[in-house]
Amino acid sequence: MKKVYICNDTITGIFSAIYDAWKESRDKEAGIELRGKLDTQLFCEYTEVVEEERKAAAVEKLIQKHLGYNTYWDIYHALLSEHPKKAEAVFHVMQTARTVGNSKKVMDHLSNPDVALVFELSRKAANEAHQFMEFIRFRELEHGILFSEITPKNRILTCIGDHFTDRFPLEDWMVYDKTHQEFLVHCAKHPWILVSGECLNREEAEKISKAEAEFERLWKGFFQSISIKERENPICQRTHLPIHFRQDMTEFC
Amino acid sequence: MAEKIQVQMSMYDKLQILSDAAKYDVACTSSGVDRKGDGTGMGNCRASGLCHSFSADGRCICLLKILFTNECIYDCKYCINRSSNDVVRTSFTPEEVCTLTMEFYRRNYIEGLFLSSGILKSPNYTMELIYATLYRLRKVCNFQGYIHVKAIPGTDAELLGRVGFLADRMSVNLELPTAEGLRLLAPHKNRKNILAPMRLIQNRMVENKQEIVLYKNAPRFVPAGQSTQMIVGATPETDYQILNVAESLYQKFGLKRVFYSAFVAVNEDTALPARTGEGPPLLREHRLYQADWLLRYYRFEARELLDEEHPNFNIFLDPKCNWALKHLEQFPVEVNRADYNMLLRVPGIGVKSAQRIVKARKMGNLKFDDLKKMGVVLKRALYFLTCGGRMMYHTRLDEDYITRNLLNTKEKLPDSVSGMTYRQLSLFDDMNYTDSQTAQIL
Repeated sequence: MKKVYICNDTITGIFSAIYDAWKESRDKEAGIELRGKLDTQLFCEYTEVVEEERKAAAVEKLIQKHLGYNTYWDIYHALLSEHPKKAEAVFHVMQTARTVGNSKKVMDHLSNPDVALVFELSRKAANEAHQFMEFIRFRELEHGILFSEITPKNRILTCIGDHFTDRFPLEDWMVYDKTHQEFLVHCAKHPWILVSGECLNREEAEKISKAEAEFERLWKGFFQSISIKERENPICQRTHLPIHFRQDMTEFC
Repeated sequence: MAEKIQVQMSMYDKLQILSDAAKYDVACTSSGVDRKGDGTGMGNCRASGLCHSFSADGRCICLLKILFTNECIYDCKYCINRSSNDVVRTSFTPEEVCTLTMEFYRRNYIEGLFLSSGILKSPNYTMELIYATLYRLRKVCNFQGYIHVKAIPGTDAELLGRVGFLADRMSVNLELPTAEGLRLLAPHKNRKNILAPMRLIQNRMVENKQEIVLYKNAPRFVPAGQSTQMIVGATPETDYQILNVAESLYQKFGLKRVFYSAFVAVNEDTALPARTGEGPPLLREHRLYQADWLLRYYRFEARELLDEEHPNFNIFLDPKCNWALKHLEQFPVEVNRADYNMLLRVPGIGVKSAQRIVKARKMGNLKFDDLKKMGVVLKRALYFLTCGGRMMYHTRLDEDYITRNLLNTKEKLPDSVSGMTYRQLSLFDDMNYTDSQTAQIL
């Protein structure tokens, strides 16, 4: 009977499921389903996966060693998406990699539907991460903390952590992902951390510093005055900066 | 200068005036330099550049684009800040520019600073103020983000050298494509004065490359290179002249970019073209940028795209299609054998897809389906390509026929596929107009 592994929708959870699946049924047909996004089928044996850091680390090493860093990069980004079949697709890609000549080039086999799905998901997540590096807006709170709220479609917080840590090493800053209720937290001179399972204190988040309102006004004014009236082109603007992003951007609020 | 009445102006008003005056500067790019933060200040740079917002005209905002001052001793006819215009004048102080840059940067509004300026008292005096600003920003505020600064023609070489070590990119505005136009519209500037600092920056960059080879930690001089911009449509130059100027700038001055700025009428002046109500020549600007890309990435030369008899671009077709239609004897191109340079010249094949084709055809014969997956725009390319000796459809290699189909690019298939091989009879022959004819009609 086909074995289906059920896991949490986190990188550790999915990697643990892949660990179990790889151990027991790498030569057989097997599926991985995400808790909460499960659609049960007939003639399947369902197993709950025990989530462990050790398993996740082993799978990460396995992929990096045998499929190469670039494939790992694609797999990691694909797993940040919200697609219900992402974990299964990744597992199938790993299975496919065993059958192709050069495992490190498995992502070139775009005619394989699983590879194509992973490729597409990875590209979407990576593109969104890049866009948020550009479109995130911080506001300064009372204690000098820079705070930002975003509404991304994929869990991109971990992809932007390094960029902003390098950019603002001496600042305390925090990014809140409203879609997935996760926080990216950075204390000055420390590496960033990802916090989930906490709630945002709305009241604290609204207390902006004295200077903040004035700089927001200056920025909005600049945003208006920099545009050339004779060249106005809202369609062009919308292509580059989709409406979806504007809800969290200072100049459009 | 007459006595001035000084009124204390708020930061908001100053920013409004000085950003409004800077908006006609085209360059807003933050690309060309990759630099990690050193952990002691703020900022880094990414080679690809980042755009932080897009204004209502669809242009990217990545730098805080401002003038240091809009006071100016020059009287260039096309410029809103010319000395004979009666506009409110104001200046920033170096401290103010630094505060604005740092606070905007902290909130991730911008990628860095773009500092240009009117000429206050003399070029040297103004450049010294700009130097003071950059020095403060780099050394006191410890800012490691992107800085683009305008080099003012007529500044001393020594001063320009100092500024270059603080900035990432420098640019000298060419203003107008020819010396003739410059004499007409910018009486206080001359071509020689503009080219001198350009040459200086170029030479200094070459020297700096050698220094870096010797000493790895030598300071970088203008690491993101230099650019320039010129106004299109204010003077009667043809596209051919403009493109030739751009080409020689790339070849002789090693510029990274030449920007074209469609002329926006802000002043009334007898020397300027009359206001027509049509708005700036945006299509012309677009065609020039397309051709500019062909020069820089597609290995074209200016004289291939245009010549004395056809000095302007076709308004209906992009420059590459236009070139291909005039050189049908070189087509069709066999995808599996043609060399890279020839692939680049096929309409619908870009640099990326040409590279993918060259890589992928080593693994096996390519078919039209494969090309589609690689990102080739087949609706344009299909008239010029064969795969394994066969065209995609039964199309003719005929200028008139292909032009007609390319103009209907909304339809993906050529006429012969849908069965229509004849052409709609029309009262007006709308296909074979030359530019001058269309210009007359418009």
